[in-house]
Amino acid sequence: MKWPHAISIKQVALAFIAGLLVLVSLIGGFAAYQTRGVTYSLERHNHDAARSELTTAVQRLLNQTQEQAANLANWDETRQQMVQPEYYTYWRDQRVYESGILPSHFVRVALYTPSGSLLATRSGEIRLPARLPADLPLHQAASWLTGEADSAVLYHAFPIYADKHRLSLLGYGLIRLDFMPALLQQEALYFTDKTSVRLTLKPGEKLSASKLLSALEFKARPDLDRLHFQTILSRTLLALFILLMIAALLALFAYHRLLARPLQRLSQDIDAMQHGRFSLQSGRSQTMRIIELENVRRSLYDYQLQLRELHGSLENQNREFHSQARQDALTGSHNRRAYEEDWEKFRLDLKNSPQGVAFLLFDCDRFKTINDTYGHAKGDRVLSLIADALVMALRANDRLYRLGGDEFATFLSRTTPAQAKQIAQRCQSLLEASVFSDLGINEPVGISIGIAFCAADQLEHIDDLPKQADIAMYTAKQPGRNRIALYGEDTERASQTLVASRETSALFQALASPGMIEMHYQSIHALPGCKVDYYEALARIRYHGSLVMPDAFLPVVSSRRLEAGFDLAVLHQIDADLSSQQLPSGIGVSINLSAQSISHPEVVSQLLELSRHSARHPLILEITETSLITQMAEVRTYLDLLRTVNYRIAMDDFGTGYSPLRYLVDLPVDVVKFDISLINKLGQDNRASHVVADFARMMSEAGYSLVAEGVETDVILRKVKSLGIAHVQGYLLSRPVPLAEVAASRAIPHAGVKCVT
Amino acid sequence: MRSCLLCLLMLVFPAAAHAVIVQQLMRPGIAANAEYLIGDRDKPAVLLLHGFLQTREFPTVITLAHGLQTEGYTVLSPTLSLNIPNRTQSLACEAAHKHGMEEDIAEIRDWVDWLKSHGHRSIVLIGHSFGSMQLLAYLSDHPDPAVKAYVGTSLIEAQIGSTFRPTLIARLESLIRNKQNALVTYPLSFCQKYPSTPEGLLSYVLWDQPRVLSALKVVPVRMLLIMGDTDSMLGQGWLKALQHIQMPMVIVHGANHFMDGEHEFDLLDHTLAFLRQTPERASK
Repeated sequence: MKWPHAISIKQVALAFIAGLLVLVSLIGGFAAYQTRGVTYSLERHNHDAARSELTTAVQRLLNQTQEQAANLANWDETRQQMVQPEYYTYWRDQRVYESGILPSHFVRVALYTPSGSLLATRSGEIRLPARLPADLPLHQAASWLTGEADSAVLYHAFPIYADKHRLSLLGYGLIRLDFMPALLQQEALYFTDKTSVRLTLKPGEKLSASKLLSALEFKARPDLDRLHFQTILSRTLLALFILLMIAALLALFAYHRLLARPLQRLSQDIDAMQHGRFSLQSGRSQTMRIIELENVRRSLYDYQLQLRELHGSLENQNREFHSQARQDALTGSHNRRAYEEDWEKFRLDLKNSPQGVAFLLFDCDRFKTINDTYGHAKGDRVLSLIADALVMALRANDRLYRLGGDEFATFLSRTTPAQAKQIAQRCQSLLEASVFSDLGINEPVGISIGIAFCAADQLEHIDDLPKQADIAMYTAKQPGRNRIALYGEDTERASQTLVASRETSALFQALASPGMIEMHYQSIHALPGCKVDYYEALARIRYHGSLVMPDAFLPVVSSRRLEAGFDLAVLHQIDADLSSQQLPSGIGVSINLSAQSISHPEVVSQLLELSRHSARHPLILEITETSLITQMAEVRTYLDLLRTVNYRIAMDDFGTGYSPLRYLVDLPVDVVKFDISLINKLGQDNRASHVVADFARMMSEAGYSLVAEGVETDVILRKVKSLGIAHVQGYLLSRPVPLAEVAASRAIPHAGVKCVT
Repeated sequence: MRSCLLCLLMLVFPAAAHAVIVQQLMRPGIAANAEYLIGDRDKPAVLLLHGFLQTREFPTVITLAHGLQTEGYTVLSPTLSLNIPNRTQSLACEAAHKHGMEEDIAEIRDWVDWLKSHGHRSIVLIGHSFGSMQLLAYLSDHPDPAVKAYVGTSLIEAQIGSTFRPTLIARLESLIRNKQNALVTYPLSFCQKYPSTPEGLLSYVLWDQPRVLSALKVVPVRMLLIMGDTDSMLGQGWLKALQHIQMPMVIVHGANHFMDGEHEFDLLDHTLAFLRQTPERASK
């Protein structure tokens, strides 16, 4: 059996009340059934009593008639009439009634001769038979009924003797009476319904008195006590039912008021709590009459109060966390996450309320130099001051976002290009007014501002605004500009900006479209035989049929902090190249990676994925030594991880950056690639050449595998060989070529390799 | 003699039988009965007659009868038939009365004859009330020589209330002459309405106080009247009238018409005292 769905407390109450009523109805019905049985028994008893009573009444009437007949027979005056009937009518019509022998004129008497003939015939005797029936035993009294026109008549014939010894018969007497009136006038009929008593006799039909009872039809008189009892019982049952109904309604009302409604309210409050619509005011005001429910309500209210307080506290904390998560800790402005969320929301809002929008991109001029010159702390302070100035310059509702490094942005709603330029100029003015000398920075700190504008009727291009602002910002950075550029207005007048725009576009498209990045491979030769040991994978962007070289797009990558994305795209392409197996097995691949990418989880994950090729192609990660590695411990951790999957770590462009020795000491470097600026020193015959040579020798002896980059002359090649450097790389030996050419050249042993001996 | 005697007990147990019911056919279809209380043969027999419309069962009569029997007197107490066969009940005033003084006298005569036929040669007639008058009427009409004495107790005339008797008599006589036999209703004696044939009524009505007094004066036998001085039934001045004609009379002080109560003994004593003075004769 499967229970139905949950039912409400009202349904329970209704079911209970209905059950109670059904039970009471059943009891009432049972009582009514029992009463009916008793009533039926009483009716039977009543009918029997009526029968008995009627029998008695009939017998009494017969006895009475017989008694009257006996009195008449023994009456002297009757005998006198039999002998001297001269005054018979006086006797018949007057004396029998005056004497009290016959009660009334409803009872008639007639006298007959011994032969059965009427003693005297007069006009008043037409209702009495002229002769007695011959078939009656007239020697003794006899009774019978005869049907007459409109009634049943009882006749009683009796003999009249001259003496008490009945020796001399004088004649007969005949008493006639209307049976039904005589029967029914008896006052002793209590149980018989007098109106129902019937004796149906056809005219002339004769019925002996002995069969009278069986021919008599009757009904019992309704028992008034029983009817009264039934009425009382019915009223009692009705009253009981009404009382129960009223009681049930009152109980239902009370149940509803005291239990159902409070419980419903509690349920609603709990639902409201679940949906966060609970009103403390309503919970406080409405008390409940049932103590337990009131306790539950109070507990619920208190619980809700506490929950609300807790919720409020959590909301505050959430708000704080949310604010913190969206705030740049250094400058106090909004961070990149806030920018992305706000920009997305702003874009959606614009669909409902089109308006002119300006996107402003701020970039600190020469910040890298300032940072490198004055250290990170002062660099951070500079950024903070810049942010303060920008916030002050913006309108009240405008937000400033720090996108990364020294790059800030804002988007202005309900504005025009002129207003946007005006705000940009205000930003520059306030920044110029800022005092940086307190930080020990004497050089002027300025910002370049790129502005992109989208009119209300051109909102379909809203997504291009950041890119356009970026282009405008680069335009602004061009020498001779006023460091504020509006895309579409200022950028069209600057051809160089067009180029920059092309390279930037190529970069962004390459990042968005796999396949645009094309890897070229430059061989690295093992000395002294100049055998190709591995290739350095170098990225190019194929844009509209031509290649965009790294020196064109890497600054954009650096300035836009796109290192991780760019490196991921490069890794994907290398993975594809290695998977094509165009490189011969055993030939390693060296991969350039920015230091910022090393701490990026996706990059690390991709490197781990790429390590599956290490069995076929030894893999080397080249980290540019000039890259600013700020989180040394974290980078080392990742590098250690990568080494476990057979990556070798190479320090690229060694000798061009900062604190090279610290990097060598702190990072797990296997290979050191001397920058071309150091290698070129080897071709000189001066102290610098000696320093480099000694340093290389020392590094080699320390166990580092050295690679000489930029070997472009035989002189330098020989010098490198003499220094014991293990590998060389440079245009002298080979230029970076596409993978297809690498594969083709590998088909010709030592093709194109120029190695001095 | 038109009589038959039913004396079963006397026939079977003559010594033990003290009372029998005697029946005589007085007229065709009209039988009458009497109680025959047997006493000493050497004492006069008493014919004791009841009052107006009464029977021998009337208390005054039956008490006196049994008292006399106790004293050894034979008593015959008949019930006048009043033209009713074997009448046993006192006749109602309102009944159709077809009897008259003549039939009554005839029945008295028959019962006297019956006594004589049974050996009683000394007969004393004792009547009560109207019966005293009827016995007086008998004595006035050739009484039997065996009748030796007459006792009239509470003797009364035929009272007719406030009706003027001559007028009534004249009317009745007129009806009779015209042979109009329809019942006439007039007061008679204690009956306020007395339906009767004109002849019957007239026979009684004629016996007014003067006629009774006249009859008393000519009674041929020894006689005694026993009257009560508180008898309300009596006509005004009736006792004085009786005293005036100097009839032998005993007045029982305090006795009413029925001489009941303690006066039953007075009645019996005065009657016995009278009887003792009556000459006796053996019946056989």
